[in-house]
Amino acid sequence: MPTGDRVPRTAVALIALAGVAGGGLLALGATRTPPQPPRVAPGTVTDPATGRSTVPGKPLPRATPVRITIPAIDVRADLVPVGASATGEVEVPPSDRPAVAGWYRLGASPGEAGNAVVVGHVDSRESGPAVFFALGRLKPGDRIQVTRSDARVATFAVDGVGSYPKARFPTDLVYGAGPAPRLRLVTCGGRFDERARSYLDNVVVFATLLP
Amino acid sequence: MKTQSVLGSVALGVGIGTLLLPVAALADTTVSPATTPVGGTVVLTSTCNPKSGDAIFRVTGPDRDQNVRSTTAAAGGGLSAELFTAGFTLGTYTVTATCGDGTSLGSATFTVTPVGGAPAGTGPRADNHGLLAAGGTLVAAAATGALLLVRRRRYAVARA
Repeated sequence: MPTGDRVPRTAVALIALAGVAGGGLLALGATRTPPQPPRVAPGTVTDPATGRSTVPGKPLPRATPVRITIPAIDVRADLVPVGASATGEVEVPPSDRPAVAGWYRLGASPGEAGNAVVVGHVDSRESGPAVFFALGRLKPGDRIQVTRSDARVATFAVDGVGSYPKARFPTDLVYGAGPAPRLRLVTCGGRFDERARSYLDNVVVFATLLP
Repeated sequence: MKTQSVLGSVALGVGIGTLLLPVAALADTTVSPATTPVGGTVVLTSTCNPKSGDAIFRVTGPDRDQNVRSTTAAAGGGLSAELFTAGFTLGTYTVTATCGDGTSLGSATFTVTPVGGAPAGTGPRADNHGLLAAGGTLVAAAATGALLLVRRRRYAVARA
């Protein structure tokens, strides 16, 4: 057998391999969907007060929160204060910092009497899953720890998780005042509207300070 | 021993006082709803007797200290006024009512909140570009290789 015949046989095998592998990658690239945040059934929580087993802890004085830790979903993130835009929409941390969460500084601070609100991105076009990607997976009883500038750590227990259309956002349940120290975590959820480049729902986690 | 029991009853008295006071106060001045997105309207109501004149609601908050005069006799008795929150700084406000006869009633709070939900996501990452590029390169390499092979075979056949 002449050598000229054997070399092409190896080459044919290599070419076939490259073709098949390349085709496979193309097919995968064309069909693979990016990771989706966990879904929360809409209206899962109607009254976050029900099902709460513990008496809320005593309110702490006001202090800026600096860090949030949620062991159940591996969240360890810095907090930055956020306010509201000129149109009255709550601010979120800049999209180039998807790993930090924002504390709504015009409301209560975590541990203070009333509702403290923390907002975080679910994902980012540039870097994928963001700080509150897995928020919808939290279950009643899960713990949320907030470290404050006074070195105290406020520990909250999850009361419930709800999903609400943005047009029917439960403003009173999220931002309401009251004597008990509560925490609300807010992120996006539901279907992503490609045209509006926005999610249709908000996922809200309701939690209460532990004694 | 005696001092202790006196102190104890004083503490008890103060305790009962703090327990009772807010309940009595809340019955006198109310704000509904207790939260409103900025730009919304809240209704301030006092249990003042309308016969003694208009009630004045003093609204104090993050950067505001304004008096609002009652405009309507409330359905369940008392006097009320509507407060439009456009331009209000977000935050919690306290409302204290003073009746026409000078009686000062308790206070109530309401919270001006952001409008709507939070824009907290910019969409899933479209990260398939790498896969498509690698796949395309491999397929192109395979095609080039196949072309070269076919040419080489033709050349060999032609020589033979």
